[in-house]
Amino acid sequence: EVKRRKRAQKLVAKKLTQEQIRPGTPEPVEGREHVSVQTELYLEEISDRIIEIDGECQTDEFLDRPPTPLFIPAKTGKDVATQIEEGELFDFDIEVTPMLEVLVGKTVEQALLEVMEEEELAQLWSHQRAFAELRNAEFAELQRLEEQDRRIREEKERRRLEHLEKLRKQKETAEKIAARAFAQRYLADLIPSVFNNLYDSGFFYDPVERDIETEFLPWLMSEVEETLQKKVLGRTMLDSLIRMVVENRLDEFSRPPPSDQTEAPAEEPRTTDAAPQVSGEADAADQPVAEEEETEQPVAEEEETEQPVAEEEETE
Amino acid sequence: MAQPRISAYLPPDIDPTKAALAFGRRALPKLNEELQSPELLTQQRALMALCDLVHDPEKVYQAIALGFLDSLKTLLVHQDQTVRQKTTEVLSVMALHSIGRDGLIRSGVISALAGLLDDPVDICRKNTHQVFDMLAKLPAGAGGVLRAGLIPPLVLKLKTELDEIQELILDTLSNCLRVEVSEALAAGAITVLKEKLLHPSTAIRSKAAWVLLEISSHAEGKIAVCEEEVIPVLVSLLEDTQPQVPANSAGALMFALVTPQGRSSAMGAEAIPPLLTLVAEETSKARLNAIKTLTLLAELPEGRKTLLNHRDTFQQCLDDPSEAVQRAAEIAITVIDWKP
Repeated sequence: EVKRRKRAQKLVAKKLTQEQIRPGTPEPVEGREHVSVQTELYLEEISDRIIEIDGECQTDEFLDRPPTPLFIPAKTGKDVATQIEEGELFDFDIEVTPMLEVLVGKTVEQALLEVMEEEELAQLWSHQRAFAELRNAEFAELQRLEEQDRRIREEKERRRLEHLEKLRKQKETAEKIAARAFAQRYLADLIPSVFNNLYDSGFFYDPVERDIETEFLPWLMSEVEETLQKKVLGRTMLDSLIRMVVENRLDEFSRPPPSDQTEAPAEEPRTTDAAPQVSGEADAADQPVAEEEETEQPVAEEEETEQPVAEEEETE
Repeated sequence: MAQPRISAYLPPDIDPTKAALAFGRRALPKLNEELQSPELLTQQRALMALCDLVHDPEKVYQAIALGFLDSLKTLLVHQDQTVRQKTTEVLSVMALHSIGRDGLIRSGVISALAGLLDDPVDICRKNTHQVFDMLAKLPAGAGGVLRAGLIPPLVLKLKTELDEIQELILDTLSNCLRVEVSEALAAGAITVLKEKLLHPSTAIRSKAAWVLLEISSHAEGKIAVCEEEVIPVLVSLLEDTQPQVPANSAGALMFALVTPQGRSSAMGAEAIPPLLTLVAEETSKARLNAIKTLTLLAELPEGRKTLLNHRDTFQQCLDDPSEAVQRAAEIAITVIDWKP
């Protein structure tokens, strides 16, 4: 009973502590109900000492484990043996031929292709090289010919220029010669013609003749002129005398009938004729001309004029 | 039973360095995409696969149609040397096909490759020069190389590069200089070539003589050759033992002697005896060139006198099987017999 109380007290203390720790069991879910259960019947006594019972055992000494016997299953079925001899399944040589053929063939084909390619390339290179050589040779030939052509052209040009020069010089020389010949010919006449001209123009003169010409003749001419002037003077004087006489006579005869008028006009032409006649006589060369002009005039006038001339000459 | 048909495709993953090829038509487009991927390994594997594919002309045609060349151009300047090497290899194999050459010229790969001339890796440079060499064999390609202004750098490289690359450069130069020669002369090509004429390697000597031939086929080249006094060196090469060298040097002389100065310097260098020996040999390659050179020398009075004695050598040449040699011999005889 004391123990029961103690237990009850413990339980109550536990509950209290539990109730203090936990907030308390939640409310039951709907349809359910909480029932408190007492586990008193199922309680066990806790004691310190455990019920012990002593016991003993002892193992044997170690022994090797014997080997496991071979497991030979019971023989079932029929025994049959088979063996593959050489050449029965397949003939290796025959079977391998196609594969080998293909393998070797492909390899050789590839090798041949490569060799052919290389040969082709080498051929192409040699072809190209030959072409290049040919091309170079032709090109060199072309350049040589060009050079030759250039030289020839230059040479031709030089020669042409030389030739032109030569022709020009020739022409010049020919012209010079022609000019010289012409000049010679032209000038050949020069000296005689010069001399002729000079002679004609009076450079070569006889000094005496010249002297006579230059001095004597002018003096003579001037003397003749003087003489003629004197004659003219005489004639003019005579004319004036005649005029005076005639005028006097006219004055005298104008009073009487006009029978003297025939004389007056006759005298007037006489005086007028005498004047040109006198001027005509001044020039010795014109004298015969004047005389011819005066053929109509009566010869008496000539005689008249000649008379004073003769008189004048006598007076001189 | 085993089928005798063998697939054209190799077993998969036989070469781990190569990318896997897609089937049929899809192979090249996929490779193109892989080439443009940012990962280095993908690019390398794609390039390896492309290298093998490009030996087939149809694949080359397809590749160019797909525009591979643009992606390859971007890869040329990649930092990784394997990428560059393989790209140049792809380009050099493409240049072996005529379609490839056309495509390369049209897409302007030449100028992109010009940057690789100074690449530290030997193989890249070698492949680059191979591409130039193959392209220069076409007239359009030679024009492209000239336009890209590559001649002066190439002439400079001649002095410093390895021997086999020098041979490629000499080939390229010979094809380009056939077209135009002024740039090379400005870059001092003749001095460099004069040194190469005395190189120990036969191939380089013969190729250098060939380049000089191409140079002297132009007028300004002839003048430059006479000025630089290359003619005595060429005359000394006429006695070389290898057959190719005297042939090419006789050819170079053939062009250089067209000018009067050339002729006088050749007479001064006593070119006639070696040329006569070359003509006398029945199977010499140099026969044609030697005959032409002697024709040029025969236009000089001194030359004519000397050659009148050797007239029968030319008579023998008239029996040569090659038509060109016969014609040349006839012309030579006409020139020798010419009286002013």
